[in-house]
Amino acid sequence: MPQRRHLVASAIVVLLLALLPLAGSRYAVDLTTEVLIYALFALSLNVIIGFTGNISFGHAAYFAIGGYACTILLTTYNWPLAASLPAAVVLAGLVAAVVGYFCVRLTQIYFAMLTLAFAMLVWGVAFKWKAVTGGDDGFTGIKLPAMLAHHVGYFYFTLAVVAVGVAALWVICHSAFGLTLVAIRENAVRAGFIGVDTRRMRWAAFTVAGTFGGLAGALFGMYHRGMYIENAYWTESANVLIMVLLGGIYSFVGPIFGAAALHLLQTFTNQYTPYWPTVLGLILLVIVLALPDGLIGLAARVKARRGRT
Amino acid sequence: MKCTAMLAAVGVLAAGAAAAQQPPIKIGVLYPLTGGGAVYGVPALAGHQLAIEELNAKGGILGRKIESIERDDKLNPAAASSTMKELITKDKVDIVLGGLASSVGLAMSEVSKQEKVVYISTIPKSIQITTDKLHKYVFRTSANTDQEGDTMAMLAGKNKLSKICHLQLDYAYGNDLEVGILKALPKYAPDAKIVLTLKPKLGATDFNPFIPQVMAAGCDGVLSGLWGPHFVSWVKQAAPLGFFNKIKWISGGEVGSHEIAGELKGEYPDNVISNTYELWYHANDPSHKEFQAKLAKKLNTQETPQWAALGYIGVMYAAAAMEKAKSTEADKVAEALEGLSIGTPVGKLTIDAKTHQANIGQFWGPMVKKSDRAYRMMEPAEYIQPK
Repeated sequence: MPQRRHLVASAIVVLLLALLPLAGSRYAVDLTTEVLIYALFALSLNVIIGFTGNISFGHAAYFAIGGYACTILLTTYNWPLAASLPAAVVLAGLVAAVVGYFCVRLTQIYFAMLTLAFAMLVWGVAFKWKAVTGGDDGFTGIKLPAMLAHHVGYFYFTLAVVAVGVAALWVICHSAFGLTLVAIRENAVRAGFIGVDTRRMRWAAFTVAGTFGGLAGALFGMYHRGMYIENAYWTESANVLIMVLLGGIYSFVGPIFGAAALHLLQTFTNQYTPYWPTVLGLILLVIVLALPDGLIGLAARVKARRGRT
Repeated sequence: MKCTAMLAAVGVLAAGAAAAQQPPIKIGVLYPLTGGGAVYGVPALAGHQLAIEELNAKGGILGRKIESIERDDKLNPAAASSTMKELITKDKVDIVLGGLASSVGLAMSEVSKQEKVVYISTIPKSIQITTDKLHKYVFRTSANTDQEGDTMAMLAGKNKLSKICHLQLDYAYGNDLEVGILKALPKYAPDAKIVLTLKPKLGATDFNPFIPQVMAAGCDGVLSGLWGPHFVSWVKQAAPLGFFNKIKWISGGEVGSHEIAGELKGEYPDNVISNTYELWYHANDPSHKEFQAKLAKKLNTQETPQWAALGYIGVMYAAAAMEKAKSTEADKVAEALEGLSIGTPVGKLTIDAKTHQANIGQFWGPMVKKSDRAYRMMEPAEYIQPK
């Protein structure tokens, strides 16, 4: 169960974020909305990476399914938000369950390649099914409830949904189920010996990740009032993977910091130079060579060193 | 008497100070500046900057200096959408221009609708921008796929093609251009038959599976939407087989531009009729010469790229609309743009009040060898403008 200081800290963070619109900067509100969405997306991917120890190269698939499903149901079928958002999340979860059923039969690089293959399949469907998804023109002109049409309204909505999503993921990851996943990550053979059905556990983790990835995608589609095939492309999967690695995969909150750092860095870099890919390359170099456990790992090491002196 | 003169002097000084203190007009622009789209985005931005330099030298717009805020759209609609929002909310731009890919154009149009800021689409051709997805604040100063398709169908009729092979890239632009051609073909070439339609993928580099099919289909002409690198690859793979000896190749996608002619040089095949927005060596308007000279100086080459004209025209329209509206307010500028006519390096253009589409034309003509040049040139170049 969560320690009291964790609960207090989380409540303070949410409260502080809720006060943000009072600062009066429309730009800060929009940017924070984007960061919140990416934070949930990165956190969902870490259920697979940090907890089961497998790398997924295709997490954008569930993001895109959630986003497309939610926006299409809202706009083409005029469903209310209360129905289209849950439907989109369930659909993303179902697809993740089907894909996961096949993927968890493999591990390591083969697992990664299969997730990539399925994600490109989703991209192919979004690209070719022009009548429904708009193909590479994108799906735009999303109808949103009036309450969410305003940027502050949408910010609060995102904050609430992401807070609930993060809390749910926290509970899942710190339950007996989450600890079992860590056991599988550390030594799958031993976990099997003590009676854990490792394949089923990894399958469940894959489904959980896809479901919350779909939730982040739905928030993203509504925020941008559009979904585009680029959101299902492998570059989007790579982007969220880097967020997770940057933040640190062995800590629950790591991906949140990774998402915030990478997205803000990308946004601010773009204001000065178009050469973001160069900056990204340097960041990757630093992560791989100097920060294998991410920003959270760095913070822990700095703290440990201070404690010694 | 002295007193009035002094008062007048004070008045003049105060007015001058006020003008100097007025904040600049901010024009936001997004083009792809890195990756595959940079070949088009970078020259378009050069034209954009040239127009702003010119306007600032003349005192700006409404007596206010212009500040240009330039960003990379990364050819990615979601990134473009975020960046455009940032330009509006953080940098407080008065108007946004640019875009290259159709999807980016549509994404930017969506932001413009939400934020009620005028967006002038300067390169994207997707017909949806000015039809299904049209709204009060979006305007287009580039051609669209219906216009391009109409001209290609007209050229098919003029060249008396009877059996046509149709080549389009399988994505938004290719599919929309196909619709535009098929709509107009019965009008210009009622007897022509399309015997084969092939749709290579966007970004394809290997056309070997397609070339023999076209050669075996027995068509006397090809209508093609293969642009830029696709056309270059096709030519390099097909020309050695004698592909271009008997087949007329009528192509959209601006492969008649100097950029492509200069890239292929001696390898540029016979029998190609294509289009371009602008030609550095050919003018249809007296103002073109001055524009081209300035651009040549800016880019440090005589043989300037066509895309610069599109960036330039976008800025000129933004400036003219603000001058006409005597304001930078989006609603007034949008109203001013409706039906607005301006002189440009490719002649006088008018934006239709209903469709928000400028009647920009393109130069069309055969690409011919020149004894004194290493590359082909369009001759005669005919400026075809939609009615």
